[in-house]
Amino acid sequence: MRQKYVCAGWFILHFLLIFLLSCRETLRLVAEGPTILPASFKNFSQRAEKTVSVALGQRLASSNPIRQVVATYLHVAGIEAGYGYFAPNVPGSYKLVFELHYPDGRVEYELPSVSSPAAGLRIASLLDGIGRIKHDVLREHLVKRLVQSVRREHPEVKTIRAVFGSITLPSVTEFEGGKRGSYEFLYAYDFSLQNEPAKPKNR
Amino acid sequence: MQAFRKRLLGFLFPLETDSWLAILRLGLGLQTTLYSLSLRNDWNDLLGGGGRGLGSRDLAEALLSVESHFVPRLGWFAVSGEHLGLHEETVLAVAWICLLVAGCSLLLGLACRLSAIVAWFLHLCAAESGGFVSYGMDNFMTIGLFYLMLSPLPDRYSLDWQWRKWRPKDRQLLGFFRRVLQVHLCVIYFFSGLTKCLGSGWWNGSSIWRALIRPPFNIIDPEILVRGQLVFPIVGVVICLLETGYPFFIWDNKTRSIWLICICGMHLLIGLAMGMYLFSLVMIILNVAAFGPDLIRTELRTYQSGTVGKALVN
Repeated sequence: MRQKYVCAGWFILHFLLIFLLSCRETLRLVAEGPTILPASFKNFSQRAEKTVSVALGQRLASSNPIRQVVATYLHVAGIEAGYGYFAPNVPGSYKLVFELHYPDGRVEYELPSVSSPAAGLRIASLLDGIGRIKHDVLREHLVKRLVQSVRREHPEVKTIRAVFGSITLPSVTEFEGGKRGSYEFLYAYDFSLQNEPAKPKNR
Repeated sequence: MQAFRKRLLGFLFPLETDSWLAILRLGLGLQTTLYSLSLRNDWNDLLGGGGRGLGSRDLAEALLSVESHFVPRLGWFAVSGEHLGLHEETVLAVAWICLLVAGCSLLLGLACRLSAIVAWFLHLCAAESGGFVSYGMDNFMTIGLFYLMLSPLPDRYSLDWQWRKWRPKDRQLLGFFRRVLQVHLCVIYFFSGLTKCLGSGWWNGSSIWRALIRPPFNIIDPEILVRGQLVFPIVGVVICLLETGYPFFIWDNKTRSIWLICICGMHLLIGLAMGMYLFSLVMIILNVAAFGPDLIRTELRTYQSGTVGKALVN
């Protein structure tokens, strides 16, 4: 009987965390919008999301043991994220193009490449992540890693320019009218072979 | 209070057979094996540290440390390997081989508990260290392997059962962990459906169109897709209803089979139309393990009347 109570206690705590995280994710999506809810819901959602974050211990100092224990448990159980996939609407995607400049003046273009479709999904996830990142240094670091893999395959290249942009998807009507996905430039980084720091060129 | 406690325990601890656990073990064994094989050529490129990996493992692990220092990661193995004089590539290769072996062992039912723990741990390390290259499928694999690892293994179809005569002691624990999986799926689908319902794109069908033409999921030619544009709003609404209605219709005997078939069909179509094979597979596995045995069971009526929600309590 004691084992049952232990299990029941774990069940309640486990699902309390899952429920709170799912609520927080839903509130975040409403706060960030756009949704079909009236705009007045945005402020409420922002406040409610903060309250739920407090309940999850996420407003405590990062060194706080309670926060560390909760965070560890969320990760090991795979419940650290909400379930709002492709919600409330399907976002556009991002594209990274490498411009390879050779010493003889030749220029080639390349996309990030991996050897399997499964890894390709992960690169797409990485590009989405880069697109969402607001910190320039972090974004540059991630782009640099991708540039280094290209550089290993093309050691003779003098400089590489990484051009990051977003793809705006056409609606059905636009597609029927002949419009295809449009590419919007967001950032560019120049990397020299001498490993000099990148020179960001924002839009 | 007494009656509530009794009902709660009755719900949480039904007497259960190990059919669902066999499905979960076999399914996640297959999933882990395919996951490993699908990344065999890119494993080191994605998860390499020291500025070599595409996934920026060092950065992902540094950010993870801000949240918690105790979340498993591949960096732990890399540091340990360094002390033993092993190159990081070797350590990563060993981790990949161990994950593949764990997946195959789960498929066979050999050393089930150990295999489940190893598979959960190594996959978790890879998912966390490759945080920037992880996606939803990794979360669902972690969830499935976490529950599998805790469940009373082995099941009757495993080699452990046949050869070593290992037997789980408590059938109510089998019921408990199945219930955990069932309730978790209900929460997942409810919130997934609810958040979709908040977007106008799922009601007018534009989200279906965008999901299917969005790189890298655009494996069907848009010229073909555009011919079915009238169906998109219907599909969008059906997906919202299926997901949001999951916790309300999956428990009832009358609606369970139709809901389960529709949800599995939805995941199958996502896999085929968007190329998300591993994501679809893990979702189908979790659904079939959680609610499938009631549809296909024949021999196990002895223990339960076939109603998931009704529990037998000692």
